[in-house]
Amino acid sequence: QEFQFGPCRVEGVVLQKLWQAFWAMKDIVQAQDNITSVRLLRKEVLHNVSETESCHLIHALLRFYVNTVFKLYHDKAAEFGVLKSFSALANNFFVIVSKLQASQEKMFSTHESARRRFLLFYRAFKQLDRESAVTKAFGEMDILLSWMEKFYQL
Amino acid sequence: VPCVSGDLPKPTNVTFISINMKNILQWNSPEGLQGVEVSYTVQYFIYGQKKWLNKSECRNISRTYCDLSAETSDYEHQYYAKVKAMWGTNCSKWAETGRFYPFLETQIGPPEVALTTDEKSISIVLTAPKKWKKNPEESSISMQQIYSNLKYNVSIYNTKSNRTWSQCVTNHTLVFNWLEPDTLYCVRVESFVPGPPRLAHPSERQCVSTLEDQTIALEVK
Repeated sequence: QEFQFGPCRVEGVVLQKLWQAFWAMKDIVQAQDNITSVRLLRKEVLHNVSETESCHLIHALLRFYVNTVFKLYHDKAAEFGVLKSFSALANNFFVIVSKLQASQEKMFSTHESARRRFLLFYRAFKQLDRESAVTKAFGEMDILLSWMEKFYQL
Repeated sequence: VPCVSGDLPKPTNVTFISINMKNILQWNSPEGLQGVEVSYTVQYFIYGQKKWLNKSECRNISRTYCDLSAETSDYEHQYYAKVKAMWGTNCSKWAETGRFYPFLETQIGPPEVALTTDEKSISIVLTAPKKWKKNPEESSISMQQIYSNLKYNVSIYNTKSNRTWSQCVTNHTLVFNWLEPDTLYCVRVESFVPGPPRLAHPSERQCVSTLEDQTIALEVK
């Protein structure tokens, strides 16, 4: 069981566990997102991503989720009583990011298009107030996991 | 004629029932209004877009369901739907679903199952379920085309020994060998896709008997 984002391989992560963790909190989290007219992970961010591009993009997205979204959503997760699922997701994301980091250092190709895609996501995030943006980003983890599933081999 | 909003209780349990991307919105009539001639109006919303949209075939309807398959056919989008009750000049507030993501939430129907038998084996051929389509003339799309990681859980039950075996397969043909001759076996198959938990939809139980052991049959003659 591993992720294969183009040249970047990530072993030892059980995607089914990430799904179970998110699904346990999906309804609570998404119900808090009242700005339904904005979708951060739009099709332009995740569609038709090339293999080599995928490593750059997933690394940028997951690093942002670990350093910003998870960090700022922790108290909400505690408030909603979903800290266990939240931690399972956070820990797995942290593992993936650290393993991607190692792969990325060996990659010389720079990917302007991966950066552009990430910036689409990031700018939409920045246009919202921070609490709404973090809630929305967390609620869209099903979109992110669906995309990651395409790179997962059992 | 605009109605006075909020005078009626809202419909309850508003939810999507989705099988092979056939997406039906259904709800219960408002508390305390069972048996009263209430009508309903439905709207839907594409997450990330701006406006609620009408479903003309579900305006002022008396039934408590509405087929939104066509409106939610882009399964990589996410949707909301809402319904309100009306009675005379009174109407309820809207009752809304949670965020509905067909790609992750549709139930995968069972495959078609074809069985052929031998003395000690049963061959099974599976055909993936078909995605909902608007017009019968449209060409069919297999759910396999949408979910490349579609798998099948095949269980076979020996009616004589009351024993059951199960096997998870990805390909569409498999053979169960080393079976007992002249014995009735029943097969049931369930499709599933790795990912978030989905409701299961096993196939009807199909039973078939293995042939008599020809060697014994010859000796008897």
